[in-house]
Order: sequence, then structure tokens, then C-alpha cells
Amino acid sequence: MCDIIWCRKCNTVNYLDPYYFWNWEGKTKCAECGTVYYIHMIQGFMYRGPEERPGEEPDILPLYADKPYEGYARYMPGTEGRTRPYQCTPRDIYLGKPDPVKFSIRGKPVRGWAPQPPSTGVLGSYGWKWDIEKLSPDVWQEYQEKIKRGEVSDW
Amino acid sequence: MEAVKREVCLEDLPGPKSQGELEEMKVPYEEYCRKLFAPGREFEKPESLKGIRWLSCTMYIFTPHSVANLAELGAEVIKIEVPRMGEPMRHTSPFNEVYLYPMHDSRPMTGTGFGYMNANPNKYNITLDYHRPEAQEVFYRLVKISDGLTECYRPGTFDRWKQSYRYVQEINPRFIYVWGGGFGYGPKAFGASYDILGQAHAGLASTTGFHEDFGGHPAKHSNWVIDWYSGTQITVAILAALNWRRKTGLGTMIEFSQVQAATRCLGYGVPLYHRFGIVRQRWGNWDTQLCVHGIILCGKSDYPDEKNPQLKYDARYVMVSAFQDEDFKELCAVINRKDLFDKYHTHKQRLAPEAQMEIYKALEEWAADKTRSEVAKTLSDAGILAMPVMNDKEVYECEHYRQRGTIRWLEDPTFGDVLVQGGYSCGLMSETPRRVKWIWRTLGADNVKIYHDLLGYPMSQLQEWYEKGII
Repeated sequence: MCDIIWCRKCNTVNYLDPYYFWNWEGKTKCAECGTVYYIHMIQGFMYRGPEERPGEEPDILPLYADKPYEGYARYMPGTEGRTRPYQCTPRDIYLGKPDPVKFSIRGKPVRGWAPQPPSTGVLGSYGWKWDIEKLSPDVWQEYQEKIKRGEVSDW
Repeated sequence: MEAVKREVCLEDLPGPKSQGELEEMKVPYEEYCRKLFAPGREFEKPESLKGIRWLSCTMYIFTPHSVANLAELGAEVIKIEVPRMGEPMRHTSPFNEVYLYPMHDSRPMTGTGFGYMNANPNKYNITLDYHRPEAQEVFYRLVKISDGLTECYRPGTFDRWKQSYRYVQEINPRFIYVWGGGFGYGPKAFGASYDILGQAHAGLASTTGFHEDFGGHPAKHSNWVIDWYSGTQITVAILAALNWRRKTGLGTMIEFSQVQAATRCLGYGVPLYHRFGIVRQRWGNWDTQLCVHGIILCGKSDYPDEKNPQLKYDARYVMVSAFQDEDFKELCAVINRKDLFDKYHTHKQRLAPEAQMEIYKALEEWAADKTRSEVAKTLSDAGILAMPVMNDKEVYECEHYRQRGTIRWLEDPTFGDVLVQGGYSCGLMSETPRRVKWIWRTLGADNVKIYHDLLGYPMSQLQEWYEKGII
């Protein structure tokens, strides 16, 4: 049984995730009260510990911690000094706002930017076909240059 | 007696002249399939649902996907959205940043998010505000000339607007009406519907992820799998209803609760409770019925120098299956742990939780100094099923998918160069293959086509409706 480390002093559950910590020996620190614990886990079972090790430095911080008796108040990964950062963030270039592009990853034009030229149709709706040369001449020009440079591929 | 002279000698007919020749002339299966399914030549063949017209009063993924299936198979689908605004899924994009433009003239800086992808291909797009009295006649006229409708509003909403099955049936008795939503009639009738609700309420999330003892929590799938699944289940019901109508001439009402549909995925879970009073526990990446049959972690990434953490850190998992005695014996030999086979030489022994913990630990220890590819190759060479847990980049680069046309680039008429996989992942059909004509249309792009060309309203009328915000 491993909770993984349930700090009885402040009733905080500290998770070492991911699960390869099932087989782990070392010291970690409670995210809430900072108590350092030594544990030795074998196949997910607490073989030794948790034993308090006051004054010692932890080997690793928990990844995440929560307090089940307090409506699951929690420390998210990467809270400074309390939990370690989560390395698998989706990608460092996620901006959280529209990321305009004019070409797909294989180099062909795609309407990934705004504003587009206003519709030539009626009722505010757009015509059927994106005639790149006519509607987006600058993109068309750039596309021709990309073709010359060999930057357009099938995949 | 004189033999009758045959007009045509068998020898003169085209085709094989002997058993040997016949064998030679048979096209090998691989070549046969490549010719039969020919990726990229779908548009040369007919469409199975051509002639069916369907109204799609849907939002998000679940109900739109039920209709997308029909559209990919050739039905003429008319999607009705809120004027100027569009349905919410247009504004739901991964990390709020991946959009294609334009959406509509009235909102020049607003695009349609990639979340809309795969649930709305091949649909014609019109706008209509059902609340307005002028809209009712238009709606009824569409019902008269259509085969069916799918809607996802809260139970009874369309009934309140006099658009539900009991009303439209009187106009068109052959009409097939689908309501798709969260709970359906019953004590929780007014609950809304989301994929995560389906996963949670049906009990699926309770058995996904590792047990809390191992640091796990109930986990939902990152993607909205129950939305995609439920949508497909609706399509199955629609196709059955179409066949019933072909035989009887009568329509059907399909009432589809998403939380109910998701319980079908529970497998043996609920019957297990009925039999033993046991509540099934989570067992993560291992299996409760087969061992070894799980996903293990390797020590080294296949892409140590990549910037993207999903490649740098996460490309370390391999699925391994070796539950048959002889496979397990081989696996133990490969990882140099023959003692494990001596200890757990029957499948029944291996299946015990304690055994699984020991076996998977040994596998991960063996894999600790290897990359994912090394592990997969070593095990495959030994005749054991092992496959890297692929990510999106690897799915895109997978030659198997490329040759079968599962993943392909589409020159979308409105938006240009886009990658699609939805329409080509649902099983190949030799005579009437699915196809993606366009990923989606701009908001109200087909108002003129439907209201003017199909229903015959004059352009001046359309202009008036547009100015009043009815369309």
C-alpha cells in the first residue's frame, strides 16, 4: 500500500508519479509542511518508511499533492519549492492564442490567418473556391518561390 | 451416334485453359486489395447513401459525428447553425490557437477551430434561428423534403418548438428523427451531455488508469472517445431505421442517451458485480484477463535530442503481448529471467496480481537501458508481439497508413492544404467507398443554395431574413 506518502502531520497525500516509482528508495518532501521522508518501495508496497528525516535534503520533490479531507485542495506540478515540474507539457511553443500560418508543414498554402479578404458572395457567406492567386496574391507569390526553392513536398 | 459439334470450343474462350494456368492468373491477395480499394480513386465510384437528405441540428462532436458518417457515405447533409455565431465547436480549438479562416463576413477575425474537424465533413452549411416565427415554415419545408434529422437540444426543447417527432411525423410520416443527448427521459432527463460525462457516469473512468495504491486516479481518455463512439452508434441506428422504412414506409424516432451508450463499453464490469458483488478496479496499462499483455516503460527515448518533450521524454513506451505459454517462455529467455517462467508457467499463475507486479517490474528493469525501438525490435525478432506506443508524428509518418490512404492530404476547396484521417479510417468499401470532399464550410455558406435554389425563396426574402438575423 502506498498513498504514496500520506503526511499524517498535515494530512497531505504526496504523489511521486509516474508509476515507476513503485520501485524506489530515497527521500522526498511533503509539499504542504516540508517534512522530509525516507521511503523504500518495492512493487508499489511500502517496504520501509515513510520515516521522518529532519534536517536532511530530499532527493526529489513529489509531482503532485492533494488534501483529500479539505475538498482535494492541491498542489499542481511545478509549484516552486513544493512539487517538481511536469516535463511532458504539450510543447513549448503553445501560445494559447491563435498561431497564424500560411503554409502547411509540407509547404502548401492553407488559410490559417486572419483577416481574410471579405466575401464576394451574398448574405456574408463565402464563395465556394479559394482561388489563391486571385484572393491571396501575396501568398501565391510566396508559394511560387517555395516551389522554386524545393520547399514543397508530397508529405 | 454423331457427336454434337459445339459452336464455341472451350479452348477458344478467354480465360485459363488449365488448373495450372488458373492458379497463375489469380491475382495475389495483396495486389487484389490494392486494386480493389485503390486509395485516391474513391471519387470514381458511386456513393451508397446518395439520395438521402439529412438535417443536422447538432453541436460539438457526438451528434455531428453521427451525421458526418452519413455525409462521408454520400448523403446530402444540411447542417443548421446559429446565425453569425455558429455552433460552439467552431470556437473550441486545441489550446485556443489552431484556427482556419474565414468563418463569416460579420466576424472577420474569428476562425473555426480544429476541434470542428472530422465531425463536419461534406456537410452543406446554413444558418437559421429556430426561435423566430418566420423560421418555422422554413424548417417544416426542409422536413418535407428530407429523410431525417438529428438534433441534440435538451429533451423536449424541439417538442416545445413544435419541431419534435410527433409534429414532424404528421408532415412526413417517413421521417426518421434522432434525438441525441446526455441522459434521455428518466430521472436525470435535463442533464446536459459531454463526453467526459459519458465516461464518468457510465463508470468507464472508474476503470481507466492505475489504481490509487499505485499513484493513479480514475482517468478519462484525453480525446473525446465516447463522443466519437456514441455518434457512430447513432449512425448504426439510422441505417437500421432506413432499412425498416424501406420495408414498411414508416419513420422512426431514435432516442439516444450518451451515458447509456457508454455502459456498453464496460465489458464484464457490471455482470461481475451482479455475480460476485465485486466492483471492478483499475488496472492501468496491464490486463485483468491476459498476462503479459500490457504497456511497459523503457529507459531511453527514441528522440533524445528533440525539443518537443512529447518526443524527448514520452516516446518510451512499448506494448508487449506474450500471454501464451510458449511466448511467455520466449519472453523470459529474452530478458534473461527464465526463473519467471519456472515460477509462473501457467497463464492462471501469471494472471494473479502479485505475479503481474513481478513480471512487469522485471520487464521494465530489462528495458531500463534500452530505447523503445530496441525493445520492440528485440522482442519482435524473438517472435513476440511488441509495438511502440506511437504518437501523432509517428502516425503521420507511418508507411502502412500512407499506403492504405488512412492519412492523406486534402486540397480543401475553401481552406487549402489540410491533413485528414477521419473519413478514411472507418473501414474500406470496394464498391461505395467513403470520401471526404471538404472538411467543413464557412458559416452559412450554403444559404443561397438551400433557401433559394432548393426551396425557391426569392433573394430579396433572403436578404430581409439576413438583415433581421433570422439566417
